[in-house]
Amino acid sequence: MPALDASAALTQEVEIDLFQGPFDLLLTLLLRDEVDMLELPLADLIEESITPGHEERWDLDAASQLVLLLAAIADLKGRRMLGEDAEDEPDVDALAMRDALVARLVAYAPFQRAALWMADRLRAAQGPRYRRVPPGTAAPVPVQDDPARLRAAMEKMVEAPPAPSLDHMGVQRRPLPELLGRLRESLARLREVSFEQMVSDCDRLEEALTLLAALELVRRGEAELRQDVPFGDILITGTRA
Amino acid sequence: MTGLARTIEALLFIAPEPLEVTTIEDITGEPASEIAVALGEIRERHADDTGLELAEIAGGWALRTRADLAPACDRLRARPREDRLSPAAMETLAVVAYLEPVTRREIGRLRGVDVDSTVSSLLDRGLIEEVESPGPGPTTFRTTTLFLERFGLARRGDLPSLERFELTGPEAQALRARLQQAELIAEAETGDG
Repeated sequence: MPALDASAALTQEVEIDLFQGPFDLLLTLLLRDEVDMLELPLADLIEESITPGHEERWDLDAASQLVLLLAAIADLKGRRMLGEDAEDEPDVDALAMRDALVARLVAYAPFQRAALWMADRLRAAQGPRYRRVPPGTAAPVPVQDDPARLRAAMEKMVEAPPAPSLDHMGVQRRPLPELLGRLRESLARLREVSFEQMVSDCDRLEEALTLLAALELVRRGEAELRQDVPFGDILITGTRA
Repeated sequence: MTGLARTIEALLFIAPEPLEVTTIEDITGEPASEIAVALGEIRERHADDTGLELAEIAGGWALRTRADLAPACDRLRARPREDRLSPAAMETLAVVAYLEPVTRREIGRLRGVDVDSTVSSLLDRGLIEEVESPGPGPTTFRTTTLFLERFGLARRGDLPSLERFELTGPEAQALRARLQQAELIAEAETGDG
């Protein structure tokens, strides 16, 4: 586990006036304010950490971590010396959370290592090839029923479905040109036509389209519309002699 | 070779997947002890200088090609899809292999993260499968025959004991120390902000 080896430096013994024991225990005590940061002889600690007897055990990771850690301690001590308040009480929740996290990581670590073992195993077991049923030659599903019934069922499956019916949609087509023609014819005969009369036997759609046709004639300058009272009859007058 | 060994060799030759001893018992009508002797004969016959070897794999017995012949075999038939598994997938697979049958929730609790996509990917690759259970309750998963073949395992649970992989006292201590260290550095950095 290379990730853990990097912590080797943390478990080494340190011997300074204030404290003798593993480095990580010192960290615990500092975090819990059981060792006063102000009294920590930082120079001694650094010297102790990098004495020749220790250095050969470090890899680059371990050394970087130690440097980072010592810097953090120096930073914290510096701020305490400048009068910045320490946290009043060690955070009980944080300690409990860390313990829970450690417990979880310890419980999970075996699976992580097992995964490494399995990865090795997968590489080692790559060589042999096994017999396989080639695709397309799977054994046919046994027909337990009457073949005729099966055939009838299969026929239903291949039958094309009926084309969808649109009958219920009631599509009506009343082309506008046709209505325009009718309106023009009436105007040619009568010069003035009542809209009400024109649409007396029409349904609502035709009525609307007839109005559109009348408006179209107005747009083209072939007729004029007049409505004397709101919602009253509309008189359509041809403008062509 | 005895008649039984010849018969079993023929069965192994045509069997599409590893042949369970109970199946051989059913077909030959011979007791397991005799079958074990016959399998020994077949193993001897396929000694080092032949192209095939007898292997106990995935809960049964199979005649498989020797590892060094893989390149030639792969020219006849496409090589099996390689399982390039991410560390997360491999760890999830390890959890299933050791704890099977195991629910998605149990896997998630151990892994400490959402495992839905990893589980789906392992299902897609055919390395794990859902256990068919008649009753209600959450779906459980287990490893497949393909998994056992790929990892060269004789049967489910043919794994080193999990205790072997547990952290030793000093390792656990080092883990704790690392967390403390991270905490201290975090505290210093928070102060900076």
